[in-house]
Amino acid sequence: MSSHPTTPGARAHTYDAIVVGSGISGGWAAKELCEAGLRTLVLERGRDVQHLRDYPTALANPWDLPHRGRLPRALAQANPIARKCYAFDEATEHFFAKDAEQPYVQEKPFDWIRGYQVGGKSLIWARQTQRWSHHDFEGPARDGFAEWPITYDELAPWYSHVERFVGISGNRDGVEGLPDGEFLPAWEMNDAERAMAGRIEGAFPGRRVVQGRCAHLTEARPEHLAQGRGKCQSRNLCYRGCPFGGYFSSNSSTLPWAARTGNLTIRPGSVVESILHDDATGRASGVRVIDAATKAVTEYFAKVIFVNAACLNTNLILLNSKSRRYPAGLGNDHGLLGRHVAFHNYRGSLNASLEGFADSYYSGRRPTQPMMPNFRNVTRQETDFQRGYMVFFSAARRGWTRGQGAPGIGAKYKEELTRPGPWGIYMMMQGETIPRYENHVRLSANQRDPWGIPQLVTSIGYTENDERMIRDFLAQGRAMLEAAGARDIRATDDRRNPGLDIHEMGGARMGRDPRQSLLNRWNQFHTCPNVFVTDGACMASTGVQNPSLTFMALTARAARHAVDELGKGTL
Amino acid sequence: MNRRTLLRHAAQLAAAAALGSLPHRGWSALPRPDGWSASEEALLDAIGDTILPATPGSPGAGSVAIGRFILVMTADCYPPAAAEAVRRLLAEVAKRAQAAGSRLFPELPTAERESLLVALERQPPPARDGVAPWRHVKDLTLLGYFTAEAGATQALRYDPVPGAYRGSVPLRPGDRAWAT
Repeated sequence: MSSHPTTPGARAHTYDAIVVGSGISGGWAAKELCEAGLRTLVLERGRDVQHLRDYPTALANPWDLPHRGRLPRALAQANPIARKCYAFDEATEHFFAKDAEQPYVQEKPFDWIRGYQVGGKSLIWARQTQRWSHHDFEGPARDGFAEWPITYDELAPWYSHVERFVGISGNRDGVEGLPDGEFLPAWEMNDAERAMAGRIEGAFPGRRVVQGRCAHLTEARPEHLAQGRGKCQSRNLCYRGCPFGGYFSSNSSTLPWAARTGNLTIRPGSVVESILHDDATGRASGVRVIDAATKAVTEYFAKVIFVNAACLNTNLILLNSKSRRYPAGLGNDHGLLGRHVAFHNYRGSLNASLEGFADSYYSGRRPTQPMMPNFRNVTRQETDFQRGYMVFFSAARRGWTRGQGAPGIGAKYKEELTRPGPWGIYMMMQGETIPRYENHVRLSANQRDPWGIPQLVTSIGYTENDERMIRDFLAQGRAMLEAAGARDIRATDDRRNPGLDIHEMGGARMGRDPRQSLLNRWNQFHTCPNVFVTDGACMASTGVQNPSLTFMALTARAARHAVDELGKGTL
Repeated sequence: MNRRTLLRHAAQLAAAAALGSLPHRGWSALPRPDGWSASEEALLDAIGDTILPATPGSPGAGSVAIGRFILVMTADCYPPAAAEAVRRLLAEVAKRAQAAGSRLFPELPTAERESLLVALERQPPPARDGVAPWRHVKDLTLLGYFTAEAGATQALRYDPVPGAYRGSVPLRPGDRAWAT
């Protein structure tokens, strides 16, 4: 394959570092590498999206939207997968990849939700940010299915580094299984939630209810104002892009910060086909790019490459990076690339009503909700399933939609609907799934996408362990809601496909043992150390936490290591 | 960047907001979908205004062009069976109005329009191809009204930029619900 560039044309395509992908982890790689003085090229397959300029619906009132947010039928019919995402609507659809853009093969059903633009899914993420605890890093080895090569203590300073810049709201709760971080003031619970929290904690000693931690500026500190970001305005229209920079995205934060160094080049419309391996040096030399519009093929070269294309696309690129040295994909000497893909189990939820609190209301729209750190199998195996789950719940007064399907005509009916309705409760699980060899992605042997790249085959499913966890959550959720005084409790298993959680992880997992993993403790390939993978693909297990904060911390840590190694001349 | 600069950015953004094909005067200026007459739209306006009439402080659904809204939504967002359901509902309402007093529904006094729709709600035309005619029109009436500017800002309370979240606010008599 290609060796290091020597021709003048190639030199113009040569950078110190290449970052594949501009989403939440790619943005962090760009920021850290540019700040360290590396000329960095960020390759993004989607279109450009500039903060402020390219948020066309950010200030739209409900009546400004032709269909009041509902999806026109043609758009819904053309996107049977994307439309399943709760955040995909008339006001946000421009930030989601459409189904036809990049076909894939569902050997087992998998709802692959993608954001193809500068900023990736950081524009449309749910913004919930919890640290992992030492239990989450040590548990997989205890349970015998994976071994993390790093500890919580090693990652903790990088969590702090990331949290200060991103801006994370939360209380210092002192929960061992959910470490506190560098917090801005927390969001408030409402009166019903506060009462429920007290009743649940009283009835179930050891279980905790804390306010959710999220990437919203409840207070804009100097480091946030310096990014051009201001306080969150409690509009809760985040999926349209925020004109205040109230929540963290690559677009509002890391990418403009990186650009200010003068070291950043972003090239939208760049579909990365593969990573180029130089068999003579044993290092990657660059990447091959197909222009999204013209399909022209170009190559770019760098000393170090960060792959942050989002979990499944990172796997796709690595599997497609074939060379004489790696005929089955980069670093894939053992056939483990694309294996051990896991996700989060969201299937269980409960609805209920809550009496009382008739004279209590709230104002503003809050971007988070109370949550309960995992209370299952934390320090030892206690249940008929492995690992555990986090619980989220919220209470709110029902609005005018309660009139839909309810009888009524005329002035009295209308007036009743203009008042706050009774309190309703929603509770859901976020469960850890166990990475299994069988749950995998691979390249299709005969089907290709519009750029001539092999399509990805998804073969990822639930196991009996997941089914047992759902049953446990639904029983525990019911018991906790009963203890909280709720009525009309309805439990649901929505049997959603894997993928709709948008928390897919693994395929190029980290590990100590090169025979059992792809990446080392610095997110470098064991056998090709100038390639780093720091998005969800690197994860050896999923934890119960929303994963983006951990991706960001791992990225910043790996970028520092890359800079240090470049300085020593070892890369 | 200070707060004033941020707000200026936001204002510029508002000016630049490009909302697809929405005309300047809003969605009610969208053309009536093909295949529907002005009198059918007027009948939907009257049905909507009977479900959600004018009350002290806020207008009725008829004044937010609810008929146009229902027709546009039905054409754009629902399968063809929904249009058929709307036709069946309109025919049923017209038939019952004739039976009640040999008049057109919009011309009936308020009390008669209400009692006609109350009876119809008890015994609605049956669902066909998964669409229940009465439920379809009533649900869209509520959606169209409470997300219209008048419904959101007068019948309900609307705050586009709350600035903060407060978790404990006493509810006083007469306080209306938040629109969003």
